[in-house]
Amino acid sequence: MLRFFSMVGMLLILSIFSFAQVGQLTGKVTDAKDGTPLPGVTVKVKNSNIGTITDATGTYHLSVPSSAVFLTFSFVGFADHEIAIAGHSTINIALQSGNKDLSEVIVVGYGTLTKKDVTGSISKVASKEVENQPVASLESAIQGKVPGVVIESGSGKVGQGIKVRVRGTSSISASSQPLYVIDGMPVNTTSRSDIYNDETNPMADINPNDIESIEVLKDASAAAIYGARGANGVILITTKKGKAGEKTKLELNANNTWGRPTKKRGFLNAQDYIDLLHERAVNDGKLSFAAGYNPVNPALPPFASEAEAIDYMTKRVDNALKSFSLGKDLKSLGYTTDWESLMFRDPAHSQQIDLSATGGNEKTKFYVSGFYINQQSIVKNNDFKRYGGRLNLEHNASDRVSLGMNVNISRSQLDRVSNDNSFSTPGQLVAQSPVSPYLDDNGEINNSTLYPNGLYDAQFNTSSMITFRTLGNVFLNYKILPSLSFRSELGADISTINEDSYIGVLASDAFGKGFGSSFISQDVALNTNNYFSFNPQLGGDHTLSATAGMSYLQDDFNSTQVQGELFPSDIIKKLAAAASITFGSTQAQRYTFLSYFARANYSYKNKYIASISVRSDGSSRFGPNNRYGIFPAGSVAWVLSEEEFLKSNPTLTYLKVRASYGSTGNAEIGENRFLTLLSPTSYPQLPGYRPTQMGNPDLKWERTNQVDVGIEFGLFDNRFSGEIDYYNKQTSDLLLKANLPYTSGYGFQYMNIGSMENKGVEIMLNSINIRNRNFKWTTTLNLAYNKNRVKNIGGQIIESTGGEQRAVEGEPIGVFYMPKFAGVDPKTGEALYVDGSGKNTTSYSDAVKMVVGKSNPDWTGGFTNTFSSHGFDLSVFFSFVQGNNIYNRAGIYQDNGFASGYDNQRVDVLNRWQKPNDITNVPRLSRYFSNGANQMSSRWISDGSYIRLKSATLGYNLPKQALDVLKISGLRLYVAGYNLWTKTKFVGDPEVNSDVMGNIAGGIDYYTIPQAKQVTVGVNVKF
Amino acid sequence: MKLFKNYIGICLLAAASFGLPACNKKLDVIPGGQIVPNQIKSQGDVEAVIKGIYSNLQDPNAFGERNLLMADLLGDEGEISFEGTFLNYRLVQEKNQDKNSSIVEGMWQRSYYTINNANLVLENLDKVSKDSKEAFEAEARFLRGLVYFNLCNFYAKPYSAGNVTSTLAVPLILKATIGQENLKDSYQGRATLDAVHKQILEDLLFAAEKLPEYIGNGRADKYVASAILSRVYLSEGKYEEAATAANEVIESGEYALTSSYSKAFNNASNSTEDVFAIQQTNQSNSGTTNNGLTTFYGGYDYGSRGDIIIDLDALPVTFEANDERGNFFYENYGINVDDGMYTTKWRDQYKVIPIVRLAELYLTRAEANFRAGTTIGADPIDDVNEVRHRSGASVLNKITVDDIVEERVRELLFEGDKIWTYKRLKKDFGSLSYLYDKLIFPIPQREIDVNTKLKDQQNPGY
Repeated sequence: MLRFFSMVGMLLILSIFSFAQVGQLTGKVTDAKDGTPLPGVTVKVKNSNIGTITDATGTYHLSVPSSAVFLTFSFVGFADHEIAIAGHSTINIALQSGNKDLSEVIVVGYGTLTKKDVTGSISKVASKEVENQPVASLESAIQGKVPGVVIESGSGKVGQGIKVRVRGTSSISASSQPLYVIDGMPVNTTSRSDIYNDETNPMADINPNDIESIEVLKDASAAAIYGARGANGVILITTKKGKAGEKTKLELNANNTWGRPTKKRGFLNAQDYIDLLHERAVNDGKLSFAAGYNPVNPALPPFASEAEAIDYMTKRVDNALKSFSLGKDLKSLGYTTDWESLMFRDPAHSQQIDLSATGGNEKTKFYVSGFYINQQSIVKNNDFKRYGGRLNLEHNASDRVSLGMNVNISRSQLDRVSNDNSFSTPGQLVAQSPVSPYLDDNGEINNSTLYPNGLYDAQFNTSSMITFRTLGNVFLNYKILPSLSFRSELGADISTINEDSYIGVLASDAFGKGFGSSFISQDVALNTNNYFSFNPQLGGDHTLSATAGMSYLQDDFNSTQVQGELFPSDIIKKLAAAASITFGSTQAQRYTFLSYFARANYSYKNKYIASISVRSDGSSRFGPNNRYGIFPAGSVAWVLSEEEFLKSNPTLTYLKVRASYGSTGNAEIGENRFLTLLSPTSYPQLPGYRPTQMGNPDLKWERTNQVDVGIEFGLFDNRFSGEIDYYNKQTSDLLLKANLPYTSGYGFQYMNIGSMENKGVEIMLNSINIRNRNFKWTTTLNLAYNKNRVKNIGGQIIESTGGEQRAVEGEPIGVFYMPKFAGVDPKTGEALYVDGSGKNTTSYSDAVKMVVGKSNPDWTGGFTNTFSSHGFDLSVFFSFVQGNNIYNRAGIYQDNGFASGYDNQRVDVLNRWQKPNDITNVPRLSRYFSNGANQMSSRWISDGSYIRLKSATLGYNLPKQALDVLKISGLRLYVAGYNLWTKTKFVGDPEVNSDVMGNIAGGIDYYTIPQAKQVTVGVNVKF
Repeated sequence: MKLFKNYIGICLLAAASFGLPACNKKLDVIPGGQIVPNQIKSQGDVEAVIKGIYSNLQDPNAFGERNLLMADLLGDEGEISFEGTFLNYRLVQEKNQDKNSSIVEGMWQRSYYTINNANLVLENLDKVSKDSKEAFEAEARFLRGLVYFNLCNFYAKPYSAGNVTSTLAVPLILKATIGQENLKDSYQGRATLDAVHKQILEDLLFAAEKLPEYIGNGRADKYVASAILSRVYLSEGKYEEAATAANEVIESGEYALTSSYSKAFNNASNSTEDVFAIQQTNQSNSGTTNNGLTTFYGGYDYGSRGDIIIDLDALPVTFEANDERGNFFYENYGINVDDGMYTTKWRDQYKVIPIVRLAELYLTRAEANFRAGTTIGADPIDDVNEVRHRSGASVLNKITVDDIVEERVRELLFEGDKIWTYKRLKKDFGSLSYLYDKLIFPIPQREIDVNTKLKDQQNPGY
């Protein structure tokens, strides 16, 4: 085994010779192991300056003088090897290489580079990491796998928006989501769904199994080529392409998944619920009498005695309980309704199947796939279906011209539940009284519950969003000179969304009328990229590649919305049956970006590498005063292991240091923000306008300047390798949605105020622990630390929608800012808070708001171990976050000692204060004297750190003999588990974020559906 | 598509020649659904901005719901009960609203949006013909005065409590915020109650003089201005002026009491006695599921939440058996109510919301005449009997001023009037003093956070 690994260098095999006059020499360098092309190999005429490097397809072209005798092939980390030219015009070579990573093709935006020439910070995720997982979209599949990329799916609902942060949040009011580029075309990732429900995820229209690789551009030097749109990082997605010279390969994937919630919280049973409500009534009676007024309405006369007060309060409770229990005798109720369990499917079942084919010849290559997925959320009435196909085609029309197209057509259907803040959402069922029966006396689902019963309404209501997505581009490459080529791409991203919802006549919020709504929208984004690539032959020691071009993006969004009511019955759910049309509107809005860009990469002796890029962007989102932004970046790298003093070092196989600095921008604030606007009004008979937006003609690009210093290394023939980066991101001219006094006639104005920073470290380590003929064990660890700080926001108070979080100067974005809970007064059972002078107070109104936690973690990461032996493979992946807090917003209802009424309480309330000298953290029960129990405070903040067994997959690959019998080329059977084990201090699932997309909002649990614990069984067959 | 391709060609050429004018034009995108201020050019455009003000008034944070509903909840002495799940509403009824309440903030916000809208009209009068200029100005100033009066009522101690030159009311903004240059003028502290009332009177007097006698479509005319003027005078205890203003409306002959009490409510368009009302249709209204007056006051069978039930035993006035007003209730249920009584006034959705009915003006004239010792237009007893007769109540032979006030409460119950009547007469609310701190709203904390001039100007008790 040692010998195997000590084989430093490459074994060269001449495979094909063809005879011709020497002059032009061409060929292809491939990997001897699997025949894949090897780019980035330096090909040189020995003892001359004539040389080139292989391109992305492993091909090289070289003009050689007749005097040339030997050709040398060299590659980073290995000794040079040479071969006689001997009159051949084509020399194809298969190399056996020990470290293929460095020749890996990295997609960098308007081009590719080999890994060794990369000077910026780019993380690559390969297809096998994203394939065949029970997730709706690719982000979920790479969660925890890329250092510095924090991905939060928010809840266990399917098809919802997913928050992605590359190196922290870099904006406050503009979007901090990265730019997604698929096969060179920026794609629309903004939710276009009904604004009254959760945001959806347009990336769910992409089949993860079609993805060849995902590159995340993290630092400025990598992202600056996307200029104004690169400040939040760029995620480049490359889909699978056809491969020439192979027989057509067919591949079938099929799997089934079963899921259940990771966690339930536990609520009171009926008896405890009744007893505690009576205890509350006694408390309220005593406290009312002592206070000398009737808190139900202070205008009413005060109570004459304590007994009268207790009696009054008890009667109120008894009336309520009688109503909830549908008049049953509470003393012999004999049941508890477990509403928490009723909201879940048991189990949820999902299926996925897809079939793909790749193949082609020297002239034409193709990849074609068809896919189908049907996912059930663990929560009832939430499903996601997607089917469609992809065709990627490339054709070489001549030596100079190649052309092709990549196109994805899909239909996605999301059947939705309402958002976390709706009574009708299943998550809020936990608030129902456990004395309310699930079925009423007639055996129908009970609708006389405390709150509208979501399960009752679910019988009548539907809400679905169907998206037709066409995503693709056509391209043409024209080789003007051997060293100069031109590429033109025209892409379109067309989403047609048909969102239909219906509230049945009998549903509790239909008031006997029935409501229907149709929202049809079309988003057409057209994008063209036109650029020149210049790869001159400068002689052996110098390599230059340069790109220059332009890009234009035009996005048109059109929508039609109609609502109606008064349906005769639930049979026809379309508006044709609505007797009254209550709303109708059409809208149209466009935005445009016009950009010019240039980049040059220069490498000297494969040791010293420099890169420089600049992009100019103009956008319709800014006024004529500041329409354009210029975003430059530069970077350098030094491959120390190529220096003589390290080249033969037996331990340190590879060492590269790199540094970059550059500027990127952000303009994701929506349209027309720089204009003062009046909107049309629709008062009956009086069509008019009213002012609705205060403009700012000087609004300009938000700018992020970033320094990145990185080191890449390989030890012991790269058996142990890694990459460490430090970055410092400084965002200035924040696009801040600054509050105006309402006395101005407006609520806010976008201004370029303030600055924010993100500093951090990213570590990626790979180790091949054991590798022999029978057993292989590899370990991968990725770890990232990010520290965000809001440096200056001009004294503005910028809150999250729920009001619990803020941007506070000097603190990380999204700190929880609210009164601090300081326990329970043992004498009275009242909650204590910290007042302005730092003392404890029982008066909630004297409590001051302060920073009591933060929603963004310090450390995030993942830890993967894979084992393979005799056809079996096992992969165990843990992900973790550390240093964040979670606020349970529903705490003010479900942990409030019945302060808001009759919401069922979590079992923690059993530890309540009952009598003087009780030491507890749960205050006394009271509705009217609850001092802040139903208002926000740090009482509901928990440590949000967790470590989770994110996935564990066991697979078996059938041996060759069996495959031969079956006449197939591969068969893999696997079983996988997701979220099987979690360690956290939080009462719910720690992967939670009710307000999914916010910059300030995060880490909020609001009756949120927990993540699913899933088991998948699947098969992969190759023909 | 074709156009787009042409542009690509142009862009390519431009890129090649480093000249960019053709592409740059593509960056000029016109808003798809809004206009910019310099698109207000003609008289018709300015009139459209006036019409926009009415849409502001219809908002649930204005007369579409809260101006009336919050007055009823805050002034409640036990006659109504809020059974809904919306905590902010319940807190107002418990007189326990706080400075972060979305209701407190929403009403303030909508008021100033409306004021800015009115001010914007005043600043565009140069685009209006000479003939129409004064009428446009008068209409905008009326609407502004109406909003300021309402703001004073909710956010300041009552005028009747005295000390009006030192009592703080609300910031007085009389210029539109159009651009960056005058934005800073909107950062103002609270003006005194005296200053705001003076401005209200100035605006309303101008309006009552310059507005035409009739405009139509529910827009404010001369008599609407006089009607609101009578309310302001009444609140200031200027009884003779109040009587005169009310008399203007009654004597105009434009209005007549409906033949029965029930015909004054739930109408698709203004009734004969509606002096001013918010118009609603099924496509333009203040809300039907989470907002809107009927949404809370109406029973479930009528398409509403049924959150507010009436305790008939706790009404602040009694009714004679034949008095139609005493039977203007119906039994129904709500999302959170099994069974309860509801007021018929706000039963049906999509109907006009009367803001000033002629009946009020009879009662105003009666009370003002009585207190001033005058008989402008009519003898007080005749005005009272006019109103009583219409509802089938007995005709009185003699009355006291308390009878008139009681009649007013009886007539205008659940129309958001009682609280202001009690306050101007310094009448306590059950066991609560009319000056109880929480019988007025706080200045929204959000507003104090943004505008430092309000920093030490919060109302006591918050």
